[in-house]
Amino acid sequence: MITAGCDVGSLTSKAVILKDGRILKTAIIKSRPKPADSAVEVMNQALSQAGLSMGDISSCVGTGYGRDRIPFVSDTATEIACHGRGAHWLVPSARTVIDIGGQDCKAIRLDAGGGMLKFTANDKCASGTGRFLEVMARLLGIELSEIGGMSAESKSPITLASACTVWAQADVIQHLNNRVPVADIAAGINNAMAARMAIIVNGIGCERDVVMTGGVAKNAGVVAALEKMLGLRIKRISRSDPQLAGAIGAALIAVDREKGGAA
Amino acid sequence: MSDLLMDAANNLNNESIREWKRAGNRVVGYTCSYVPDELFFAAGILPYRIRGFGATEATIGDTYFGPFICSLPKAMLQLAGEGRYDFLDGAIITPGCDAMRRLDECWRKAGEDIDGIVPKFFFHFGVPHKYADYTLKWFVEEIIRLKTAVEKHFGVTIEQEKLLDAIRLYNRSRDLLDRLDELRTCEAPAVSGTDALAAVLAGTAMPHDEYTKRLDGFIQERKSNAVNYRGRVRLMLVGSASDDVNLVRLIEGDRVVVVADNLCFGSRFQADRVDESGDPIQALARRYLARNDCPRMFGEYESRLTTLMDKAARAGVEGVILQNIRFCDLHGAENGLFERDLEAAGIPCLRIEREYGPLVETGRLKMRVDAFLERIWQRRKAS
Repeated sequence: MITAGCDVGSLTSKAVILKDGRILKTAIIKSRPKPADSAVEVMNQALSQAGLSMGDISSCVGTGYGRDRIPFVSDTATEIACHGRGAHWLVPSARTVIDIGGQDCKAIRLDAGGGMLKFTANDKCASGTGRFLEVMARLLGIELSEIGGMSAESKSPITLASACTVWAQADVIQHLNNRVPVADIAAGINNAMAARMAIIVNGIGCERDVVMTGGVAKNAGVVAALEKMLGLRIKRISRSDPQLAGAIGAALIAVDREKGGAA
Repeated sequence: MSDLLMDAANNLNNESIREWKRAGNRVVGYTCSYVPDELFFAAGILPYRIRGFGATEATIGDTYFGPFICSLPKAMLQLAGEGRYDFLDGAIITPGCDAMRRLDECWRKAGEDIDGIVPKFFFHFGVPHKYADYTLKWFVEEIIRLKTAVEKHFGVTIEQEKLLDAIRLYNRSRDLLDRLDELRTCEAPAVSGTDALAAVLAGTAMPHDEYTKRLDGFIQERKSNAVNYRGRVRLMLVGSASDDVNLVRLIEGDRVVVVADNLCFGSRFQADRVDESGDPIQALARRYLARNDCPRMFGEYESRLTTLMDKAARAGVEGVILQNIRFCDLHGAENGLFERDLEAAGIPCLRIEREYGPLVETGRLKMRVDAFLERIWQRRKAS
């Protein structure tokens, strides 16, 4: 059985092709203004790498904010269900999933079978999301992928007074003008991001094992700061790119639905 | 649902109000469910619940309130500042919460800058935050103070017999709403949450005698209608003031039916009755202060939780949406307690913080509701 998951997020779109319980091919692209365009492009990339066509896919589940506008999916599921399912497949001992995406962040509690017990998501603004990091990296003149590693280089991280993305920018500019080392500013940004997320995670009660999914899971600085704030180790995902967890979950839900099972 | 009821629920200056005004009658607005409508009906004045519905910006509201406060009173002031409440002959502000109490000062201050937006009769109506013998005495005095002010300003006399007639009429509409509730909470609901909210809302924005007739007609129509919402996920909606039927419509979509609520614009109106015997002012004070289930009342959490549990059990609720407007301390804090206690009782809860006003956050909101449904379907399959 070949199924697919297509996760159209606000910043990136992801596609995963699954064959008999194994990941065949994946693709990640920057999202385009129209969700349908992003979905077609990312799925075509994954299909072409696998040497397949859409006709070879028995079912495809769409997720992400653009899930209702994907033309080729057979069904949809929310990103909460997909990240929960994907995280449980990647780390079967996962009971708490922290997903930080482009413009929202979520904490999901799972039961032993990977079923969703509870979830919460940011309600207020873009603070504590991938967009926050993207804006800050641009301000610092570095790549988004570089910001995470800078925490390790920092000797004296700054403290951001405001959690607001816009106000935090003003703070960062002030620090740059005062010639504060970029690593210290980056570490402060990672800490602020982790602090926002820790509030959300503690809101639903954090239970071991904890895993992180979404693009920000690749930011070592945020992960380390969050571990410190939560007082526990976050299990690393080694089977795949954590950013793909939602699309993996969608492909797994496609399997479940074909078999007439849960989710 | 009759067009007139839906029109009253969805338009501030609706056709019923325009007709009432064309006949030379007066309308007095109020901001909170603790104001006894019956008093105005007895005076021949149409009591009208002021809403923020339809505000598309907050330029005026933000100017006088500032940014970090509930957007409901800001939206009310915005509409007043835009002249959309020009049909009001009076306005009554209550300290429902601190944000709503500030509407009194902000509206007056805005009136210094924008001509003609403060109705000539502008009254601050005090409402105690506790229910006790001494607060009841105070509340009775407030109702008498309001009655005297209305009589003096509008040149009317609120006679005891007319007040009793009004009490009977409003009790009758509460009886009807209970019947509507039965159609909503039964196994095969014949009324959606969207229509149920519209039915209650209309009662706050049109002459009540006409409303009662229309409501009766709506109930008869639904009783004979074969359409029902059996099989949908049965949710209850709780929390901050919600007067936008589109919010309920968004939640319901084609997979949910909101079978119960505990909203001040919703079914809280028909909780209990006003005693039709004895002194009507005392009776109004007892009903309006004691049976309103708003977290503004101190020391009543357990009773409010019991109300929710009873409603959930009666309506076979599978999940509860606990929503609050951003910066709403009362419902925000209480929703946390409700979530703890309802979840412990095995009732799944979804907490949502939202902005009052145009439904601009639909994607975000829908994703949360959809994920909540996934949780409930998972429970259905497991049971």
